[in-house]
Amino acid sequence: MGLANFKKHLIEKGGLSEDEFARIEPFIQIRKVSKNDYLLQQGDICSHSFFVEEGVLRLYDLSEDGKENILQFATEKWIVTDRGSVYFQQPSTYYIDAIEDTVVVMLDDAFVNEVVKVNIGFRKQNEILLQNHIRHLYKRISLLLGASARVRYLEFVNMYPDIMLRVPQWMIASYLGITPESLSRVRKALAEENFKS
Amino acid sequence: MKTRHIEKVTQPGTPHFVGDGFRVHNFIPGTSTMQRMDPFIMLDYNSKYNFPATDQPKGVGVHPHRGFETVTLAYKGRVEHNDSSGGGGVIDEGDVQWMTAASGVLHKEFHETEWSKKGGEFQMVQLWINLPAKDKMSPPKYQAISNTQITKVALPDNAGELEVIAGAYNGHKGAASTFSPIEMYNLRLKKGAKTQFTFPENYTTALVMVEGDAKVNGDTEAPQDHFVMFSNDGDTFTVEALTDTVILVLSGEPIKEPIAAHGPFVMNTQEELIEAFQDFNTGKFGYLED
Repeated sequence: MGLANFKKHLIEKGGLSEDEFARIEPFIQIRKVSKNDYLLQQGDICSHSFFVEEGVLRLYDLSEDGKENILQFATEKWIVTDRGSVYFQQPSTYYIDAIEDTVVVMLDDAFVNEVVKVNIGFRKQNEILLQNHIRHLYKRISLLLGASARVRYLEFVNMYPDIMLRVPQWMIASYLGITPESLSRVRKALAEENFKS
Repeated sequence: MKTRHIEKVTQPGTPHFVGDGFRVHNFIPGTSTMQRMDPFIMLDYNSKYNFPATDQPKGVGVHPHRGFETVTLAYKGRVEHNDSSGGGGVIDEGDVQWMTAASGVLHKEFHETEWSKKGGEFQMVQLWINLPAKDKMSPPKYQAISNTQITKVALPDNAGELEVIAGAYNGHKGAASTFSPIEMYNLRLKKGAKTQFTFPENYTTALVMVEGDAKVNGDTEAPQDHFVMFSNDGDTFTVEALTDTVILVLSGEPIKEPIAAHGPFVMNTQEELIEAFQDFNTGKFGYLED
């Protein structure tokens, strides 16, 4: 099993050296999850964060009427989890499932502590990632409250450049908080402006 | 003249579905790499497969391509295609569709509606051929090559027939125009007959055993549905038909440029790949209803 993405993550974002990565390699736990299978279901207590080595995951919950609301996609090098459930050890209200066959690295406190043992700076780097995630969530709320469907879409594809080819359009519409028809209209309008046949 | 030996004979691996209409064995890159198979960057082989009758044609929905050509050879069944510049058509049995995606198209491919209603045996090859860097952003185009337009050459001693799709065989030129030197033939060789091919030693050369079994270079069996990959240690190989055969013969000059590939985009650099995704996301490939 290649762990090229996770290695890159720990070296570039975590500040580890090649040698330090080699030392924590034995502590890395991976899990394979088939398309449509769950990593987390409502009512479970979530025990890990999931780093996507390969594949696509989504985090979602259900409205009262059974509609799926997608909070986050995680493609390669993204981390997804229900942080509240992990931190407060409370049952989750979310689901995490795989849109493609996916390989994840399972992250928890024990693993972070092992990494910190080989590189003390990792704790700070990890906090930066958390703060960055919170900043991203603020921006996401702003877009959902105030931005047009077009702006939401453009921000989205800027962040996940290859996702339009990997995820059904209705899921993308759900993430953007718009109808699939509205997403189609946005894409059609962009094509009319930008397509030179 | 020096014998071109076989590098490997690959049996068809576990098939996978492309969309719900193409049940394919991947031979390129397969166990090899795009660099080794240059200029052929992808080959999916839909071995004979029976699709039941349906009113809902099966196929692949809207998807983009940039940076290369797709060549679809229909051996059994019919495929209908549409694209974002308003083009479309039907690839019938025996036809070849040569699509130059180049700067970008959005298209979809489905079993033809009337064919779907009856269903039946379906057999296709889809091949991706890389474009030289200077042509990657040229305008898209189609060459719809119907079977009647394909040059047919009778082989000596009543051995069979060669359809020259691209390149030239003994001075008989194929209908397809190409951006780099490509030889592409359908060899229809009768049981017991033998023929030989000579291509420049550096050309990437392979066979797809579409129908029947053959012996290559007098000693290696190439059964139906297998893929034969040649070394670059010579220029000439022989094929002897053990049964009546149809063999797709491929030989192309390597382009020898860097390859940056992700999904349906094959470019030279990572930056060009990112640009391809951005262009696709912002409508520069046009729009096509699913």
